[in-house]
Amino acid sequence: MKSYSQVAGEIGEYSDLPFWKKAETVDLVYVAYGLLIATLVLVSYTLGALKLLPYDPQQISIELLNASPGSAGHLLGTDFLGRDILSRLIVGIQAYFLPGLLAIVISLSLGTALGVAAGYRGGPAEALITYFNDLVESFPRLVLILLVIAAFKPDIYYIMVVVGVTGAPMIASRIAGKIGFLREKNFIEAASVLGLPTHVIILKHILWHNCRTLLIIQATLGMGEAILIETSLSYLGFGVQEPTPSWGNMVQAGANYFLQGRFWPSTAPALAILFTILGFQLLGDGLNNILEGKGNK
Amino acid sequence: MRSAAMKAITRALSREVALTALLLLGVSFVVFLILYLSPGDPFSVLLEGQMGGDAARAGVREALGVPKAWYAQYLSWLGNMLQGNFGKSIRTGLPVFGEVVRVGLNTLYLTLGALLVTLFIAVPIALHAAVRGDTAVNWPLTIFAYVLSALPVFWLGYIVIYIFIHKFGLFPLLSGSSGAQEYAWLYVLVPIVVLGIGNDAMSEIIRYLRAEMRRVMAEDYIRTARAKGASVWRHAFKEGLLVPITEIIASKIPFILGGAVIVEQVFNWPGMGRMAWQAAQDRDFPVIMGIAMVAAAFVRLGSLVQSIVYTVVNPRALQE
Repeated sequence: MKSYSQVAGEIGEYSDLPFWKKAETVDLVYVAYGLLIATLVLVSYTLGALKLLPYDPQQISIELLNASPGSAGHLLGTDFLGRDILSRLIVGIQAYFLPGLLAIVISLSLGTALGVAAGYRGGPAEALITYFNDLVESFPRLVLILLVIAAFKPDIYYIMVVVGVTGAPMIASRIAGKIGFLREKNFIEAASVLGLPTHVIILKHILWHNCRTLLIIQATLGMGEAILIETSLSYLGFGVQEPTPSWGNMVQAGANYFLQGRFWPSTAPALAILFTILGFQLLGDGLNNILEGKGNK
Repeated sequence: MRSAAMKAITRALSREVALTALLLLGVSFVVFLILYLSPGDPFSVLLEGQMGGDAARAGVREALGVPKAWYAQYLSWLGNMLQGNFGKSIRTGLPVFGEVVRVGLNTLYLTLGALLVTLFIAVPIALHAAVRGDTAVNWPLTIFAYVLSALPVFWLGYIVIYIFIHKFGLFPLLSGSSGAQEYAWLYVLVPIVVLGIGNDAMSEIIRYLRAEMRRVMAEDYIRTARAKGASVWRHAFKEGLLVPITEIIASKIPFILGGAVIVEQVFNWPGMGRMAWQAAQDRDFPVIMGIAMVAAAFVRLGSLVQSIVYTVVNPRALQE
């Protein structure tokens, strides 16, 4: 006589065990850490938007240049102009948060539309998506962004449109693949035999029931990427300009004081970048392993 | 039979070459489109403040033989480019193609070296995980790879510069610094190692290689080889190592080229990325267009090599 969990294990994804019991501990740790970071970013962003900060991020104090963490009430110390690093880190989230959301919305909506067109219609549409995918992947993204900066202007929203559009074909091919998989299982055929209208099949049965998790995962990974690109561009001097803080320009400005042995003003934002990007990556990968199954990458 | 297989391979390869050409055509069109849509064409940038009145400008355009319709402009630009004429830099006045190729070589060393460094770290970690399964060493290594790929590469660059100048006094970064100059050649290696470690592709490369190797190790023919006592390595090498590595290299070249833009900036490396940065600052269209085209050609070339390796190693794929 087999126990319940053995049977459930054999049936695999069709077992009615809740997903967190089937998941590996490592993946749960990843997701927990990622959720913690995401919450922290969201709360900090709200605090920054409401101006609930420990100090004014622009307030210069000559007495406290490059102060170490914890000194004189500055929890994370001060930078080269004596400005509070914690407040600047919190305000720095504004540099990527809304632009990142814009990039995510663009790539998800464009990618979904293209993916459904390719997967549902198949044939030439699918070949076209593959072509666009290859085309977009031919450009190093930073080079394409520099091209757009040269042609238009260094505006973060222009840049995030580029990021969103270039992210779309990848999502499209994932969704097209998913629909192809559903087709093999006669899933869509059954739905249309039942007389369901096409838009119900696409919106409810394909997108809502089967692509939801995929889109959430891609959104998470997209936020990590938006942070990476925003910080890189701010570092290169094309993003947010001093005195407005961004994590990238904080690293860059602080690095001038390395030779004086003042590591902290540059390292604090670098650690913020590291932990945040790590959080969104682990959240995406953990969710992918738990909800989509390993090897379904 | 053998000649039939050769014919199939040739056909597949010529298809790949045609596809590459088609993609490069698409790339050129995207580049043209961005420039075409940009406010103020290069002419008005050049003529700014020198010529008032729209009529006079139109006269100049006509006199210089600039075609009006967008497709005529595109075709003439494409025609010039195919002859190696990428135009002249607005800032320096030098022909773009020669300049880009000159600095492109530096970027080529940087990216290829960085790829080697990345693989040098990624392959052993992935192999260990695939062969030995989830051990106690495995998990910290995976986390380590994740951390490396999330680390901002510019900060890593500054730290490395600091350590080498300050602690070892090695590099000729500060003029007149006396130090152990015989180690100066090491300076060339530092950016390569930094880019190899800090490009954000590391964790993805490890995960991909690990998954592919695991899949191959579980195949029947590997079990047969193991049972016969034959070398598992010889059997697993092609499909388990060679194909996934070429695949991941080809797909990561654009990321590493993007990372090169930043690393070249940190280390003052005279490459394409620095040139692109300079060109974006000066709105030097011909240069940045040339760089985008050369970078895309480089990416497509890598992808072409990958599909050649795949076809030659695995002719079976042709029959699908």
